[in-house]
Amino acid sequence: MSKSSQAVSATRSGMSSSAEQRKAYIQVDLLAIPLVVLLFAGIFSFHFALLVGDWDYWVDWRDRRWWPLVTPLAITVLPAVFSYVLWDKLRLPLGGTLTILCLTFAAWISRYLNFHLFADFPMNFVWPSTYIGLGLILDCMLLLTRSFFWTGLFGGFAVGAFLYPLNWSMLAPFQVPVEMHGTMLTVADTLGYEYIRTAIPEYVRIIEESTLRTFGEAVTPLTAVFAGFLNILNYWFWLWIGYLGTKAIWIRKIV
Amino acid sequence: MKTILSLSISALVFFISLLPLEAVAHGERAQMPQLRMRTVHWLDVQVSTAKLAVNEVITIKGQFMPSKYWPHHVNSIEDTAYLNIGVPGPSFVRLDSRVNGVPMIRSTSFRYGELYDFEVTMKARKPGRYHVHPVINVKGTGPIIGPGIWVEVTGSFADFENSTTTLLGKKIDLETYGFSNVVFWSALWFSVGLAWFIYWLTKCPIIVPRFKRAQELGTRADEMITTWDRRIAGGFLLLTLGLIAGGYLYAQEQYPITTPLQTGRVDVPAIERAPNPVSIKLIEARYRIPGRSFRLEVEVTNRGDEPITVGEFAAGNLRFINSAVLKVKPLDEHDLLAPDALRVEGGPVAPGETKRLVIYADDAMWETERMTTMIASPDAVVAGLLHFYTGTGKRYLVEFGGPMIPVFG
Repeated sequence: MSKSSQAVSATRSGMSSSAEQRKAYIQVDLLAIPLVVLLFAGIFSFHFALLVGDWDYWVDWRDRRWWPLVTPLAITVLPAVFSYVLWDKLRLPLGGTLTILCLTFAAWISRYLNFHLFADFPMNFVWPSTYIGLGLILDCMLLLTRSFFWTGLFGGFAVGAFLYPLNWSMLAPFQVPVEMHGTMLTVADTLGYEYIRTAIPEYVRIIEESTLRTFGEAVTPLTAVFAGFLNILNYWFWLWIGYLGTKAIWIRKIV
Repeated sequence: MKTILSLSISALVFFISLLPLEAVAHGERAQMPQLRMRTVHWLDVQVSTAKLAVNEVITIKGQFMPSKYWPHHVNSIEDTAYLNIGVPGPSFVRLDSRVNGVPMIRSTSFRYGELYDFEVTMKARKPGRYHVHPVINVKGTGPIIGPGIWVEVTGSFADFENSTTTLLGKKIDLETYGFSNVVFWSALWFSVGLAWFIYWLTKCPIIVPRFKRAQELGTRADEMITTWDRRIAGGFLLLTLGLIAGGYLYAQEQYPITTPLQTGRVDVPAIERAPNPVSIKLIEARYRIPGRSFRLEVEVTNRGDEPITVGEFAAGNLRFINSAVLKVKPLDEHDLLAPDALRVEGGPVAPGETKRLVIYADDAMWETERMTTMIASPDAVVAGLLHFYTGTGKRYLVEFGGPMIPVFG
């Protein structure tokens, strides 16, 4: 190839072979994926702190009524948005798992550094719940059905319905009964009482404030089913927001 | 020049970092003076010891009286309240807290004008020097902070122990209980999630090639998903559902007896106290800004059988003492006590007598504790407690309250 033809091809592409092209694509991945991980960790932590906050910070906040209802609605937002983006643009079923993995990673760092080392709370009082299984359900459903509709219907419902059983393996030891000064408490309540939080009095917690106690033992299953149904609509709504995001003109210009 | 400047700043920062700094502001001065004067009056707050070692127990006790002049624009203590402690984090653990003998594990409510005894027992957890305050959190209002007392904790944090016994008879360490189980399940789920992520990373490069391929295929982009992908996804879905079900059944088997989180309200019955023979009527309250002088004119009626004299004027956690009646020493360097700052004109009030007294509380504390901003209040109403004493040392507490007029000259 003459020098002049080489110069012409160089103006068309910076890569002269498929090996170079592959190397460039890998460099894009090496740059973009860590940035995406940091972005997900940052925005999801902020989003979760605003919408769930104390429900996830303290073990004595995770009741049977509000925690399993509020949390799925908040935890579904970013997985749904980014599921749409990653699936539509890259056919990658990672929106659920990756966002929640990033949240979990950031939550553990925050609990250990802020709550444990800085504020001195014992880790067994401030551990973050796990939601990774819910992200996996969403991603696997999306890949298997290749349909946002069915993913929302089954996956969205599963996120609401399975949050409590998913965490029960960690939460159950903290709901063993204890007696304190003639009052029955759980271990979690005892931790909340003994480890002083000046700005979080007992009444701030929202513990089973509703009429669902009428159903006796079935409080948790009823809440789970209700959260599941609500979360179907929630998932579809945030998918639509993801769709709007990919169609936005500024995104189109970049892409 | 720049080098000298940067070296100077570095040296300054270095030396400041060597100073033994301690936190002395705990928010008590940040509250509006009206809120401090008209919400909760704290009395006789004391600690059982000012120095203790890790694992040793301290009691903080005293009395408080919710003000009858509680501001209408602030949520009421008669609705929902909680006795708390103001310390920096869990430097102590609370073993017991009581008001009038009733355990204060749960929230309650307190009545205006009623005098309550409180007592909080704590165990020292972390070495340090702490300004310990009693606090009453009021729903919708926030924390009402009582007087602070410095307490020093010595020893080692590593030696701290805190255990309890469950109703099933198992002794547990509250510092670590359940955490290894949490770590196990969290690590397991993190590994599974990470494995899913890594599976897709093995297809790297994934961003540009997959984007281009998806654009080329358009509506047929699902062809990018391979059979192997579907098998892996099916496997992960089954694994996830299996782990959720397995974990749930495991926990049910390990902890067959659990109870929901506990909450509720407790009532605190009033303690029967001897009738108060002293009553007052506020004639006028003026605060003279240049002199930091609070002037109170009251009409006092004494229905008791001994003459009475004003020994103390207390408002917003500040205490002004009439040294002719009482000799009080500050508990520490930050005790908000003026041991000789109360002047009373009018002399003792004899039994059966109604008499007008003029009381002056003059001290720089009005300024240093940021009480002078009481003139910026939307309703300019103040309140406080007058402590009357008999010659035999009996004390009668009477709350005063009403409009305050500032004096600027």
